[in-house]
Amino acid sequence: MLLNQYNIGYICTKQQCDNGLADKIAFRWIAASSVPVNYSFNDLDLQSNKFANILSALGLQTGDIFFTFLPKCPEQFFCFLGALKKEVICGTLFSNFGDEALLDRLGDSGTVGIVTKKSFLKKIRRIVNQLPKLKYVLVVDIDEHQDDTFLSYPKMMADASDGYDTPLTTADTPSVLHYTSGSTGKPKGVLHVHKSLLHQVKTSQEVLQLNADEILWCTADQGWVTGTSYGIIGPWSLGVSQIHFGGMYDADQWFKVLAEEKVTIWYSAPTALRMLMQEDDAVFQKYDLSHLKHIFSVGEPLNPEVIQWSKRVLGKEIYDTWFQTETGAIMISNRPGIDIRPGSMGTPVKGIKPAILADDGEPVCDGVQGNLCLKLGWSSMFVTYLNKDDVYQKKFINGHYFTGDTAVRDMDGYFWFKGRSDDVINTGGHLISPFEIESALLELEEVAESGVIAAPDEMLFEKVVAFVNLNQGFEPSKELEIKLRLYISNKVSSIATPQDLIFVDKVPKNKSGKIMRRVLKARYLGEDEGDISTLED
Amino acid sequence: MIILEHLREIFCEVFDDDEIELTPEMTANDVDGWDSLSHVNLIVTIETRFKIRFTQKELLTFKNVGDLNRSINDKVSINR
Repeated sequence: MLLNQYNIGYICTKQQCDNGLADKIAFRWIAASSVPVNYSFNDLDLQSNKFANILSALGLQTGDIFFTFLPKCPEQFFCFLGALKKEVICGTLFSNFGDEALLDRLGDSGTVGIVTKKSFLKKIRRIVNQLPKLKYVLVVDIDEHQDDTFLSYPKMMADASDGYDTPLTTADTPSVLHYTSGSTGKPKGVLHVHKSLLHQVKTSQEVLQLNADEILWCTADQGWVTGTSYGIIGPWSLGVSQIHFGGMYDADQWFKVLAEEKVTIWYSAPTALRMLMQEDDAVFQKYDLSHLKHIFSVGEPLNPEVIQWSKRVLGKEIYDTWFQTETGAIMISNRPGIDIRPGSMGTPVKGIKPAILADDGEPVCDGVQGNLCLKLGWSSMFVTYLNKDDVYQKKFINGHYFTGDTAVRDMDGYFWFKGRSDDVINTGGHLISPFEIESALLELEEVAESGVIAAPDEMLFEKVVAFVNLNQGFEPSKELEIKLRLYISNKVSSIATPQDLIFVDKVPKNKSGKIMRRVLKARYLGEDEGDISTLED
Repeated sequence: MIILEHLREIFCEVFDDDEIELTPEMTANDVDGWDSLSHVNLIVTIETRFKIRFTQKELLTFKNVGDLNRSINDKVSINR
């Protein structure tokens, strides 16, 4: 390893080749309907070199921002690592984002370029005029450039050199950008730096038990932090071979992958595991999972029933892990070597010091619910919210980062998730802002008011429920419900689509006009509405 | 044929892509954005526009667009 070289792109590729792993499989790409393809660490190095050279040729500089907007595919990895080699900040976008979600993220970040697919161009074209800084849209499945902006990725890659000297990159050079939702305002750009890989590597080893002999399948999409921290950075910094599967959820197909690819470490999400739990046991019994050593989960609390199911049907524990986009890597977890307490978040990872604090920053006693906070001092911590450093500064008190989650610590040091201290919705492991959905609904001429809440859901952990008051002249109908659902799905994201859409005569607000989501939630769940003295007349 | 064209229009609307061409063998893996949540949007839209209802059991048997199209045809012809 080069002394003081912190470059994630370099360490995931060239360093592995220099360590003698050039011919080792970095990942086996399994598309849903074609023959699997192996990519070695040498392939990963050369392809990412080519992409770094493309960015150089396009004039991108250190600190410029570039986004990937792709479904799972090999190009995702080449572009991500190539951008990081070039010291360009690389953001990743969930492939089901709609126009509004894209505009918020690409506009706020002032992104210079984006790589995407032909089928997503319609969304990009609808917003491109509102993105003055966007110069280049590289398309992975067109053969010819369309103009000076819409360029053919295959053509540029074919012409690019596969040699690239990665600059010596300092620990604090900005690296990865993920946007995360809050309960108010637009999504915020969570910026990390290259030294994040130190904690990502450490937790890959100490929690996920990764070493060079393992075969990892992390099912997370690269649009989210788990997909970059543990689907790219952690494992490839350790020379670990991965499986990347391009198909959708399918119990049979997933278990075929686990069995045939001899996956040893599987990192997935509670929603997916709960969907598997619905299947007949016979589905799993025909597959040989003897190579599988450990199963890990992330994204939302793992209910004890899933752990029991796994032990009964798969003969394996499932270890729940907890972290956030902001923390960049696992903070608290269940893991091999400690006793699992089903339903708990587990215990802190070595070097991480969580605390349960009251709103004023004072510690509360064990067994008492409070704000889950983390004492500063780990390498994968984000360094700011892009363009919103004032919001970033407000996340700290007395040297602790306030996560926005509430939890309890028991007397044995295990942490137990209790909920959010704000209105953010965690559906299927993805955080959704009710504000984003409400704002999008208000763009429709039929909608006068809207209020969006989270409601408990057996499969998704929480589901999106929207209350809509229509303007005069419009009547509730099934066709209108479809229009609203599809509008949210295509403008924001499929994951933001309301599972329940309820037409109401009025959305409750307080006297200053703020939506009283607490009251909506109580009404939806049939619970006491509590203090409604501030409700407007 | 008319039903298939109507189904194509629904696919384009649900997945926000005017260039989708349906084939009987097509599955969720062939359409960008066809995940479990947008699948719910697809089914609700089909049921409303064709004025039909699928049972949970029927939904589980659909392996591709061909299965879906056949089921719509059967239900629409019964309703006629």
